[in-house]
Amino acid sequence: MSERNDDFITYELQEFKLFEPLFRWARKKSLWIVAFCTGCGGIEMPPLATARYDFERFGIMPNPAPRMGDLFLITGYVTPKTLKRIIITYEMMQDPKYVMIHGSCPINGGVYWDSYNVVKQFDKYLPVDVAIAGCMPRPEAVMDGIMEIMRKIESGKADGWKRYRDNYEWYKKNQDELFGEGWREKEGKRWLAWI
Amino acid sequence: MIGIDWKIVLEVIGMLIYATFMGFIFMGIERKAMARIQRRVGPPLYQPILDTLKLLGKKESVSHGLIYDFGPVFALGATITALLFIPIANFQLFSSNADLIVVAYLLEVPMLGIMLGAMSSGNPYSAVGVQRGLLTMVAMQLPYGLALIAIVQHWGSFKLSEIVALQSVHGWSITVPALLLAFIVFDIVFQAMLGLEPFDIITAPAEISMGPMLEYGGKHAALLFTQHAVQLFAETAFFAVLFLGGASNLIELLIKQIAVLFIAIFVASIYPRFTIDQAAKFFWKWPTIIGIIAVLLTV
Repeated sequence: MSERNDDFITYELQEFKLFEPLFRWARKKSLWIVAFCTGCGGIEMPPLATARYDFERFGIMPNPAPRMGDLFLITGYVTPKTLKRIIITYEMMQDPKYVMIHGSCPINGGVYWDSYNVVKQFDKYLPVDVAIAGCMPRPEAVMDGIMEIMRKIESGKADGWKRYRDNYEWYKKNQDELFGEGWREKEGKRWLAWI
Repeated sequence: MIGIDWKIVLEVIGMLIYATFMGFIFMGIERKAMARIQRRVGPPLYQPILDTLKLLGKKESVSHGLIYDFGPVFALGATITALLFIPIANFQLFSSNADLIVVAYLLEVPMLGIMLGAMSSGNPYSAVGVQRGLLTMVAMQLPYGLALIAIVQHWGSFKLSEIVALQSVHGWSITVPALLLAFIVFDIVFQAMLGLEPFDIITAPAEISMGPMLEYGGKHAALLFTQHAVQLFAETAFFAVLFLGGASNLIELLIKQIAVLFIAIFVASIYPRFTIDQAAKFFWKWPTIIGIIAVLLTV
């Protein structure tokens, strides 16, 4: 995005129309999850990864490195403090990237609807590709959400990263309303001192 | 003008394509076998190819400067050079009187390349990973060297093709008692060379994220994946050549490589990870003792 330092080069790469179907197929079949678990949904991940549901058969792999990740799972309620980290992690991921939100809390606040310290509507701050309702969604529901995102990737409808690029001003305005101006530089300096 | 031998050029290109493809399949076998051991279905065998394609298809690539770009290229180059020194089914592009030493050290160079790139990214996790990687390398040099000395002393040659020829006359290396000990030592070191448990301290995913690979993404990561595939092929081939009598055709080589790979997978899937001090202590204790015994038996 525009907030990057000078010794930090970003190559924007051309889209090859000819190979696009091949890349879409590969993207669909190898979604790497950024292992960033917020709230109570993180505990729903182990059943998905282990023998019973085994999401690795679809090529999904939990990956601790945000630079390599594709799919960002927001697993539960998001506080403003977490949201800062989520936004910075999201911006570290490389396009194309997808966001899936779990449970009612990121959709409309859920049981924290009147809490002073929970982000009620997540898609004001970051673009969302698939949302799964429920408190908590069962692993079946999460699998269904993952299938949905795979279908969307194949048909090219999972365009959250494009929307974030196009409507960056709007998202940034919302983020600044919550955290105050210049939070990104301040916090970024503190957490990512090496950049 | 010097005439180019087109047959050799085509052979080299074919060998590189074959090695890369089989390396990816080996990575797939690794993931599939681990999944089956954990009673999961596991990804399809061609999954690493899909992963690499996806990483190549990323629309954005972040770089931290020239050295960061150079690291993976350096690693891939060193791996390919090492591959061309190994006699793979009567095909060996480069040959010298001491190609065993050349291959043994060229197979260590890719790690240095990755570390060069990782250090230039400036990420503290990468720095910890690099430190661990260098310490593991220092720790495994001693038993690694001892195993190779045992081989060289027994067969009396530094030439890989000569070692293969001698093994086809006198029987495989592992049928010799002293070299069986060297085989055990080399197998332990092999585990660390492939970066599998119990020596996956370098890229310990739960502790230091991905270690040196943390800042890599997009095209750089695709290059590293390719490098890992070629390296997997080269290292298993090197193992098969040294201890399992080499191979006269690709099918025989493939069977031996997969046998070697499965030993590594089975060991990896039942052992937890060492911490770095435990790994160094372990390497300087048991493999070193066995290696010294092996060397003394071959004198």
